[in-house]
Amino acid sequence: MNKAKNMFEFKKQISASELDTNFKSDVLTHPDTEGLNACFSCGTCSAGCPIHEVFPEYNPKKLAKMVRLGMRKNVLSSPHIWYCATCHNCEQRCPQNVKFFSILNVLKNMAAEEGYAPPSWVEQTRQVMKTGIVFATEEDWIKERERLSLPSLKGTREKVRKIIEQTGIDKIKPRVDPE
Amino acid sequence: MSTYALFLGCTTPTKVIQYELASRWVCKCFGIELIDIEDFVCCGINQVNLSVEAGLLMAAMNLALAEDKKLDILTLCAACTGALAEAVERLKDDATRDRINEKLRKVGLEYKGEVKVKHISRVLYEDIGIEKIKKEVKRDLSGFRAAPHYGCHYLKPKSAFEGFEEPDNPKTLHQLISACGAYPVEYETLNLCCGGKVFPVSEDIVHSLVQKKFDNLKNKKIDAMVLQCQTCYLMYSDRQNEVNKKYGKKYNFPVLLYPQLLGLALGADPVTDLGLNLHRVPVDKVLEKIA
Repeated sequence: MNKAKNMFEFKKQISASELDTNFKSDVLTHPDTEGLNACFSCGTCSAGCPIHEVFPEYNPKKLAKMVRLGMRKNVLSSPHIWYCATCHNCEQRCPQNVKFFSILNVLKNMAAEEGYAPPSWVEQTRQVMKTGIVFATEEDWIKERERLSLPSLKGTREKVRKIIEQTGIDKIKPRVDPE
Repeated sequence: MSTYALFLGCTTPTKVIQYELASRWVCKCFGIELIDIEDFVCCGINQVNLSVEAGLLMAAMNLALAEDKKLDILTLCAACTGALAEAVERLKDDATRDRINEKLRKVGLEYKGEVKVKHISRVLYEDIGIEKIKKEVKRDLSGFRAAPHYGCHYLKPKSAFEGFEEPDNPKTLHQLISACGAYPVEYETLNLCCGGKVFPVSEDIVHSLVQKKFDNLKNKKIDAMVLQCQTCYLMYSDRQNEVNKKYGKKYNFPVLLYPQLLGLALGADPVTDLGLNLHRVPVDKVLEKIA
């Protein structure tokens, strides 16, 4: 009896009142996202995704569907959107030329603006504005480069800060995970 | 003789210096002149996570710096290659380029759209060529079994590489390995991503991906994995211990960067020219094999 009942229980009901009908059109204002309207949910993206294979919760096909349904909060607050390895298989193999990689970048950018950015990526950007690269300056590699007579890495880092500050990237705060 | 601006990226010149060392040595050998540009910064590929525009701006800044010196760019890192080449494509669009230049002009830079970006392996493949490489081989590497690993951004997005490679069935690294006299080993997970770009958010995912590749390679009797990206290198070499601990394995795969294998074939000194002493997973077995 219980078994039969479970068959008709949904894991989570999607409630129309929680959907944001503007979500898809918001995403579509960004370049290379128009494929969202061409996706027929064949799942080639997920089938070829190396991350999906080892971590099934990361699922490009499901994310694309959620965007089209308007599940804004579920998508943007999901930690899974940050697990893309950027291998490009999804868009390389998509029969509909959907650029899922570009769509996912838009989702990550929107999530970052809403306060969901992983601390590691925010830290990297802060570092880039200080040193020009994603790492802090460390004594050991400076010495190693000297020992091997390789050029020192001393560019002018002011420029990169001034350039990317114009996008507001420096204002993005890392998400605060509950303890 | 060809001349390029050398784009080192972030990780190679700080954490995988042996790749830089070997690349400079190999280029010198073939008369490829490398110019260092002090103001180069990160290619921007990771900034795309937070702001696609910021990532594109950083790529464009680097392109503008090379263009200013009238140079094309030679990259070592696969990810920098993909990010910069993709930016070249996107900046062919006048409206995009105008918008980006408006922001670059604040620091006196401008990108007109005249730079080409090529990975060192592609430069060796196209500018030097397999036949010329074969002729220069001085050390016998026959019987050396190398498992190639291309690096996703060396191949993709395909639109950024003018049909240079077939992402699902790549060939150039296999041919470059053969040119050294070594044997490129075929294996099923050839195109499996190293996971490097997920590392800052999930080490576990990286370890599962690395373990999958190692599990596939364990019975292939390989002498080394041969890579062309330092991020892939860090995942397969520096994470090898962690993967062994986590999965209770005893993998012991030496990992080389392609210019190191080529350098060995060309007769370079393994330590002073190629930095083979700087590897986390020792490469003694490699040196015994070629002795």
